[in-house]
Amino acid sequence: MSDTIAVDEFLPHPPATVWRALTDSDLLARWLMPNDFVPEVGRRFTFRTDPRPGQEFDGTVHCEVLDLDPPRLLRWAWRGGRLDTVVTWTLVAEGRGTRLFLEHAGFDPDDPIQRRTRDLLAGGWRSHVLARLRETLRTP
Amino acid sequence: MSEPDVFAALANPTRRAVLRLLLERGEQPVHRLAEHFAMRRPSLSEHLRVLKEAGLVVEQPVGRQRLYSLRPEPLREVVDWLTPYERFWRDRLTRLREVLAEVPDE
Repeated sequence: MSDTIAVDEFLPHPPATVWRALTDSDLLARWLMPNDFVPEVGRRFTFRTDPRPGQEFDGTVHCEVLDLDPPRLLRWAWRGGRLDTVVTWTLVAEGRGTRLFLEHAGFDPDDPIQRRTRDLLAGGWRSHVLARLRETLRTP
Repeated sequence: MSEPDVFAALANPTRRAVLRLLLERGEQPVHRLAEHFAMRRPSLSEHLRVLKEAGLVVEQPVGRQRLYSLRPEPLREVVDWLTPYERFWRDRLTRLREVLAEVPDE
């Protein structure tokens, strides 16, 4: 059993434009992270960001292109810190734009962050969780 | 917009304590809840009203008293905010939208 994050967003641009923003290394760097991405199945690449020692993350996300079907589907292995996950982008034309689906799968449900989320729902009500919540609210 | 109500409701320690009591002990009449707090009854009722408006508690009249119980559904929204990767992706998708606005369509 693993946990998945699913997010989708309507973008008022045709799939070809959205695809470019997902597969052009320079554009990708502008909205996601600096990278050495090459759109080729089997190609390994990295994203670089700030280290988060508390999460055993050194700041490098090690990726691999698992699937590439322009302009419909893009799938990356996404590994870094304790994560060994898969990110899947799906583009679906919608009216004059594109609905972009993101699925980030393979989170370990025993990971402390996942467990804390479950505990909150199951009844372990903790003030530090709520303190974090207030911080979140202050972030614009 | 139910989300800000939920966050505002949770920001107060008395209201969090009320939710914890309801969570641990199940439904409670207001006088039982009041035993746990030094404040006057009208102040507590005001906190219960905020929780009710946020959809976090429901009130049910039973005989001459009103029973309050926890309604956990809105907390699921809150939990979404607590999942760091979900926040990360939502932030990045907002940036993607901004970048796309500057890129000519194909």
